Amino acid sequence: MISGALQGSTFSLFCAVLLSSFFALVLTVVQLPQWLFYFWPDWIALIIVYWALMVPHRIGPLIGFIIGTLLEVLFVRKFGVLGFGLATLAFIVNTTHRQLRALSVWQQMILVGLFIAIFKLLTGWLYGLVSDFTITSEYWYSILGGLLVWPFIFILLEELRRKFRVR
Amino acid sequence: MANPFRKSSDWLNYGLVSIVSIALMVLDSVTPWLNTPRDVLSVALSPVQTLASVPANVSRLFTNALTAEPDVKIAYENMRDEYFQLKSEALLLRTLKQENDNLRSLLDASKRLDEDIKLAELVNVSIDPYNHRVLISKGIISGVYAGQAVIDDRGVIGQVTEVQPLNSSVMLITDPGHAMPIQVERNGLRTQVEGTGNVSLLRVPFLNQNSDIKVGDVLISSGLGGRFPNGYPVAVVSDIDVIEDEAFLRVRATPIAKLDRSNHVLLLSRGRRGTVLSGAAISDSSNSESNDLGSGQQ
Repeated sequence: MISGALQGSTFSLFCAVLLSSFFALVLTVVQLPQWLFYFWPDWIALIIVYWALMVPHRIGPLIGFIIGTLLEVLFVRKFGVLGFGLATLAFIVNTTHRQLRALSVWQQMILVGLFIAIFKLLTGWLYGLVSDFTITSEYWYSILGGLLVWPFIFILLEELRRKFRVR
Repeated sequence: MANPFRKSSDWLNYGLVSIVSIALMVLDSVTPWLNTPRDVLSVALSPVQTLASVPANVSRLFTNALTAEPDVKIAYENMRDEYFQLKSEALLLRTLKQENDNLRSLLDASKRLDEDIKLAELVNVSIDPYNHRVLISKGIISGVYAGQAVIDDRGVIGQVTEVQPLNSSVMLITDPGHAMPIQVERNGLRTQVEGTGNVSLLRVPFLNQNSDIKVGDVLISSGLGGRFPNGYPVAVVSDIDVIEDEAFLRVRATPIAKLDRSNHVLLLSRGRRGTVLSGAAISDSSNSESNDLGSGQQ
């Protein structure tokens, strides 16, 4: 925004975030066998956690909100809930990014699981308010899936970030 | 990057976004104003949707290409047998229909409405594991309307809840918020089925302890409420619990349609658009789309 170099880097960040969100979308809509269904991670939430952790100054609540709203259009859901959930997730990660980065991957996994649990609690509760939705016990299984894939997501997105030269 | 105002500006940013999202939530659940922007955005985003479903389609293509020839032959022969069998049954059906019409006219009863059938493809199946909805590839442009009944080759799948220009979302009968009027095929006993949130389980409430129902009974749509036409198979009773102190039986059923496996679905619409029934369904759904999803009173 200030100089040309920053402009270029903003553009590449934009591309990287869009690309990773798109892959997350592909993974979300893929058809699954029954046993894997409930454990399938919330890919979009993981992607947001990663970007809010590594580029906290530029990926925050606003980007989370925009991506969430676009997803709500694609998934034909009530407006506002997913946007708010992802914005909250990005905000939590933003404010704790220093501490989170200092941790080892294993400790990070636990915290990422916790953040996603907060995200799911919030969105599940709000969906219960705006449309008819009840939280079942299977609803929480995907947190386990999410924290198990976190290390892989982290490594893959680090690679992507290096390719796109995002700082 | 040390910015003394960073902390407070973060909070400001988050607060603004929260206010906007809460406003959106309230606006979207109280008024239909956001439907137009949603439609516009969905058309703009439809390439993304198509692109995102490419990998799934490609894998399907591969499984098709890799199916061994003998398997295909066997499948072909089975289908040919089935085709001829159905053909002969259809011949019989035509005479029966004629006879039925004659009998109805003798009784001075109203004629059964003809249903128009439209084929649609599923765009994506697992939109969300907990809200049982699927997205199909037909929308306003193809004349789909909210409240339209959706079936597959075996039985009832659900009903259209939201319509967009190019695709629409269908609520399955197993969605926790869905209920539909049914009757027992064997004796015409009327009640309704409710979704449970489990793809292979439906609940049949409001049956007295002395109701005539048993395991294996086929439940068909009763046509009450005007959403689902009469006579389509819905579920098979799988389990009945008698609980001493309760007024009602605890009856569970399994859906007949392949809810999580079909790739194509059929959209039923009333042949004559001007009829009372379809008119009621349309106006009803546009008024209170969010609350009255099942045609039974929940």
